Amino acid sequence: MQIRDYILRRLMVLPVLIIGVSIIVFALTRVGGSPIGVYLQTGMTQEEVTELEERFHLDDPLPVQYAYWAGGVLTGELGWSGVAAAPVTDVFLPKLAATMELAVSAALVAVVLGIALGTFAGARRNRLPDHITRVFSISGAAMPLFWFAILLLIVFWVYLGWFPIGRSDPNIFARIDHPTNLYTIDSLLAGDFGAFKDAIWHLILPAATLGYGATAIIARMMRSSLVEELQEDYVDAARAKGLPERLVLRRHARRNALIPTVTVIGLSFGFLLQGSVVAEIIFRWPGLGRWMADSVLRGDQATIMAYVLFTSVLFLVVNLGVDVIYAYLDRRVVLGE
Amino acid sequence: MNRTSQSSSWGLFLSVLVVLALVAAACSSDDPADTTVGTSAPTTTAGSGSTDTTAPPATTAAPDTGTEVNNPGVFVHGADDEPSTLDPAQVEPGEGGETVILQVYERLLEIGESGPEPVASLATEVPTVASGLISADGTVFTFPLREGVTFHDGTPFTADDVLFSWERAMTMDLPDGAAGVLSDTVDSMRVVDDFTFEVTLQEPNAAFLNAVVPAMVSSIVSQDAVEANGGVVAGEFNEFMSGNPVGTGAYKFVAWNRGEDLQFEVYDGYWGTPANLDLRIEIGASPDIRVLGLRAGDYDTIEADPSFIGDVQGAEGVTVDGEGLTVEPIHIGFNLKFDPADLPDNDRIPDGFLNDPRVRQAFNYVFDYNAFVNAALGGFGDFNPHYIPQGIFGYDPAAPVYDQQDLAKAEELFRAAGYWDEGFSISVVTEEANLFEVAALVFKDSIDDLNNPNMEITVAAVAEAVFDDAHASDPVPYAMWVKNADPFADPNAYLDSYALPDGEWGEIHDFRAGYADADRVQTLIDSARVELDPAARAVILSEIQQVLFDDPMWLIAAQEGVVSARRDWVQGYISNPLWPRPSIRFALLDKG
Repeated sequence: MQIRDYILRRLMVLPVLIIGVSIIVFALTRVGGSPIGVYLQTGMTQEEVTELEERFHLDDPLPVQYAYWAGGVLTGELGWSGVAAAPVTDVFLPKLAATMELAVSAALVAVVLGIALGTFAGARRNRLPDHITRVFSISGAAMPLFWFAILLLIVFWVYLGWFPIGRSDPNIFARIDHPTNLYTIDSLLAGDFGAFKDAIWHLILPAATLGYGATAIIARMMRSSLVEELQEDYVDAARAKGLPERLVLRRHARRNALIPTVTVIGLSFGFLLQGSVVAEIIFRWPGLGRWMADSVLRGDQATIMAYVLFTSVLFLVVNLGVDVIYAYLDRRVVLGE
Repeated sequence: MNRTSQSSSWGLFLSVLVVLALVAAACSSDDPADTTVGTSAPTTTAGSGSTDTTAPPATTAAPDTGTEVNNPGVFVHGADDEPSTLDPAQVEPGEGGETVILQVYERLLEIGESGPEPVASLATEVPTVASGLISADGTVFTFPLREGVTFHDGTPFTADDVLFSWERAMTMDLPDGAAGVLSDTVDSMRVVDDFTFEVTLQEPNAAFLNAVVPAMVSSIVSQDAVEANGGVVAGEFNEFMSGNPVGTGAYKFVAWNRGEDLQFEVYDGYWGTPANLDLRIEIGASPDIRVLGLRAGDYDTIEADPSFIGDVQGAEGVTVDGEGLTVEPIHIGFNLKFDPADLPDNDRIPDGFLNDPRVRQAFNYVFDYNAFVNAALGGFGDFNPHYIPQGIFGYDPAAPVYDQQDLAKAEELFRAAGYWDEGFSISVVTEEANLFEVAALVFKDSIDDLNNPNMEITVAAVAEAVFDDAHASDPVPYAMWVKNADPFADPNAYLDSYALPDGEWGEIHDFRAGYADADRVQTLIDSARVELDPAARAVILSEIQQVLFDDPMWLIAAQEGVVSARRDWVQGYISNPLWPRPSIRFALLDKG
């Protein structure tokens, strides 16, 4: 089987999975009760509550409500967010962009540093650099995210005043257009280096916080894989051929060591999305995570359903991407061996 | 160094280089001291119904002061909740949107800087019988209006706008709004001339001038702005107005970045004393982050409650004080109309239990008030009689009040009512993780203090939306619940909601089935409502407080203190608990 066929086969299954996920998301959200609570105010009469239920079609049978919702999803209408006081669709994309900007920045830090540190440590097994890297990694995995985040805030925001919280300086943010809602990209598109610096300035603390935990996991996995690969016969054979150690590491051992590491990177993206909830709350980052947390606390089901559906689909797509990378790195996956 | 280490060192070196480059780029950024939190979610900008991410910056020149301040030229407030609307016709009393409406809109009369008395605003004087602006029978009110006032969209303010604004709220009559404040009071309105407005009431109403006219729902909106953006449709909210306030106030709305901030600029065409600084209300920072932001100097004031005191007291550059009390007493409601089939499974409530005044008195004697006020509220709170909060007209400091736990008296009352041996098991529903849950837990501990194994309270702490769902049901599916009262400026608004047998909660909880003399309570409250002579009205209100002490329909845990936490550089700070949270008019403040 060709890689192309493999990808096509996986893509054909994707819509079925998404429909299944949407039904599960809708059903599970409704198990928590009617979403009417988020729209209610103290002292409303029963008639007023009924009026609101009619407004949001909550008086219809569940299958009809699902049809309304699914139809809305297909046309880009995801309902009204009681928490944001705006249509979910209007708020979702800018917040998604904010979250993705944070998660991708954190992932960039985690992947680059994690692979480099893992390689650095794996190539120096049981020597001082390996021990230092291990301490660094275990600390990152062990420290609660909220604790580390608040620690950074107290030091770098409150006492040193080096970094702010939030996503931007409102005045700088307002002076450029935002076609992509990704502040870093938009500032570059606008050719406004000051805005770009503002974006980076605001990204550093949350991205570092979020990326540290993932860096630790990736570095540990990379190190372990590399240590294993360096003990394989093909590595000895390469060395025996007289291949320079640099090339043995880069062309043979590291490439194979990346296979399990890529899996971890894929899973780490999930970790980053989960972690972004905490990071966004603490750093006042205006992303999906904070909005979602508020929505859960206030029972804003329109928002919850949109978020869960999105993350489910995202995971399906990311997993597909990981499988494709797997297939590229190891052809036996495609051949079903 | 071998080749392996060379290769991995290069990887590490490049990685570190990337990170350092990012840090270096950031470190050369604009002055970080002037940098605060920012924006990204859809920006609703004044004057447009669509999303706009290019809102103009909300800045003015820094005040000419000698003190170095963060964010010069703009006052930054760290708020709690995201508003659910900025439309006066849709906002609920006590909701976050009222904070904005207070700053952007104006009313004919406003609650003054101290006390509950109304002062002139868009009307040029407060009507009185003596001035002839109130008819002899107390039903017709005439308001001479201010000339030369303009809305933020540039249109002039006239009596037509007043008529339009009030009629609009009553026509929309949104379930989530407070149009009833007007429609329950007003019989008819008319424009006498461009700058004279006349209102005829359904009956004399002592609360009209200090509770109806200054209410947020009575704010005057720009007729042109509404008609150009969806107009008025009965029963439907106006999406434009819910996100784009257009009033006559000292602040002009600039942008609402969902989940981030609300931005306002000084309105240059303001008829009165203009605001000193632009305003940014930052939304959604958790309490801990608000405290850190205040300490970092990025927030000038923060939304605070008594639980903040320990975190900010003594911090450099921060002033913390308690000034007055909120007018939203925390109370435990007794539901006399519950359906046993709706109650939680483990509830066991004898027939007629809560209908017996002695039982309700016993609960009032059981509660450990001092534990709640001193521990949960950090001492920032006080007790108040049923059911008129301190700071509201008619509050009688000599009225009897439940303020001490008296277990012996409680036991005596339970025994006299015949329930000491039989006991009960009741679930008290409350929102989780806030002061209300603490009040419920104190209540549970207080009942445990009776050492009667047959008496049991279970605290059912649930998510806010779940609580709201239960709280809005009729009948409420719990026998007891904890929350706070809505804020009002007039005693009758409280009494109508929380004491009147045929009032809002009177019907939901079936007070008539519990009051020893419901008709007397009804008559007293009705007479207080129509009594226009303040002295005579105060006497009636005092009598009501005595009656409600003897026959309580609520357990009032405490009246929470207003806690202010602000930077030392804030000037002209003034707060009135009768103003919507955080009880501040930002236009009065300056910093430097």
